[in-house]
Formats: sequence, structure tokens, C-alpha cells
Amino acid sequence: MSVGTIVWLASELMFFAGLFAMYFTIRSTVPEIWAEETAKLNLTFAAVNTTILVLSSITCQMGVWAAERFQPARTGGLLQFTRWGMNEWMTMTFVMGAIFIGGQVFEYAELVEHGLTIASSPYGSVFYLTTGFHGLHVIGGLIAFLFLLGRSFAAKRFGHHEATTAIVTSYYWHFVDVVWIALFAAIYLIR
Amino acid sequence: MKFEARLFLYLTPFFIVVGVIYGFWSSWEAVGSVGLLLVGGLVGMVGAYLALVARRIDPRPEDDAFGEIEQGAGEQGVFSPGSWWPIVIGGASAVCFAGMAVGWWLFYIGAAVAVIGLVGWIFEFSRGQHAH
Repeated sequence: MSVGTIVWLASELMFFAGLFAMYFTIRSTVPEIWAEETAKLNLTFAAVNTTILVLSSITCQMGVWAAERFQPARTGGLLQFTRWGMNEWMTMTFVMGAIFIGGQVFEYAELVEHGLTIASSPYGSVFYLTTGFHGLHVIGGLIAFLFLLGRSFAAKRFGHHEATTAIVTSYYWHFVDVVWIALFAAIYLIR
Repeated sequence: MKFEARLFLYLTPFFIVVGVIYGFWSSWEAVGSVGLLLVGGLVGMVGAYLALVARRIDPRPEDDAFGEIEQGAGEQGVFSPGSWWPIVIGGASAVCFAGMAVGWWLFYIGAAVAVIGLVGWIFEFSRGQHAH
């Protein structure tokens, strides 16, 4: 199951390679549009949103370590996060991923207000296609976390079946996170 | 498992070198340059994962040139004995695509069936006679 996930993620890398290639091709064809449109981006907001997504990878990994200990539920109080089980850590990851998506929606709304839509310019098209496809992947990850939690709660004995699910879901989540760091660098830092 | 890891890892520098040569030759044309460099990432990802697994597990009988078949006897892991749910998802996807041509009302029916198929598939080994 893990090997299959890795091979599939490697093919996902090529999917995003296509998106990056599209972005850079159009950027080199019409550089004057970039100079004008990238001024609309809100770097601070995007940086905060990025930080939330990166931190969610850490909480996800804490969840994986809990799953590898076969510990689904916490052993202490709700706020004693050192004693959290997989369910608590993965719920935390889900909430942070959902905040990221909420931030993306907010950012899109602001950009549309400033006149940047998917049809307004070549920049708008590649911006929404690259960040949009990434956003869809994050939403897919959120659904995967729900299914993972469902499997965890359905199991009376938390075993290898549930732990493996947690591990492969974390592979996917880390992958989507790394892709976002590359996208963030290409779109917001290099401009 | 080291051999499987090398099979992929040895290709990584090749694609990176070829990507850089291509980049200079084409004055960094985006599609090919990004594509070739990330193909290096593709084989590197699979190779690095296999290398990590190789370090974690003991050498398997198939890693030994003089290994015998019976050395691999014992528990092989957990495998699904078979599942009908992928057919449900496949059929639902076909209905969804037909819906794009026929009308969106059909798409929603397909999407609903796909959700049922997905939930059924994911929880197949968590419920019923497989509940654990």
C-alpha cells in the first residue's frame, strides 16, 4: 500500500510539473502582464496561510507517530497535547488544512474584487489553475483525513490496517505541502 | 531492497544532468527544463523511499543471490481478497462523464453513487464480517 502511494505521488509530481511548466511558459511569453498583475498579490496573507499549511504537516507527523504506537485516543486531558492520540492530531491537521482552504477562498475573493479572474488575463488563468489544482488536492486530503478518522473510530482494535492508512495519508499530505512550498516560491516570491 | 532503490536512484543524476544540458541548449525553455528536472524528482522520490525501506527492514530472501524459495515462507502481509466496490466507482464515474454530455442532472446521480462506492470501499474491511 505504501509503495503504491509513493509511485502514485511520483506521477502526481509530473502532473504538477505540467502546471509549473505552463506557468513559466506563459510568464516568459508575456512578462509585462506579470509586472502589472503580481502587484495585486497579498504576500503577508499568503505567507501566514503557508505557515499554517506547513505546521499542519508537523501535526500530521505527530499523528503518524501516535498511529505507529497504535494509540488512537488521548490518554490525558484535551489540552495535554503531549498525550494526544492519532485522532486528536489528525483532527488538528484537518482543522489547519480547512483554515488554509478558507484562506485561499478569502484570497480568491479579494483578487476577484481587484479584477483578477480566471478569464481576465493570462496571469489570472495560470494563477487560478495552479493554486486551484493545489487547493483541490488539499480538499482531497481533507476528505482522506475524514475517512482515516472514520476507519479509526470504526475499529475496536486499532491495528496495522488503521496505522497504514494514517501513514499513506500523511505521505499524501506532506507531498501536497511540499508542492505548495514550491508554488508559493514560484508565485509569491519570484513573481 | 537496495537493488530496487538503486534502479531508481541511479537515474536521478542522469535526468538532472540531461535537464541542465537541455536548459542551457534551449536557453531555459520552461516546459522541457521543468519537465526533465522533475522527472529526476520522480525517480528520486521512488528511489529514496525504497532506500529508506531497505534500511528499515532486514535483507529479504530475494536480496540473496543464493536464496531459496522456501526462505520466503510465512506471513506475507495483509491483502484484500477481492472487492466489487471499484466497479461501483467505475460505473458511477462513467455515469458522471455521460452526465457532462447528456445533462448535469445525470452527473449528480453519478456523483451520489460514487460517494456511496467510495465509502463502501474504504470501510469494506472495517465492518461486517471484517470488523476488528
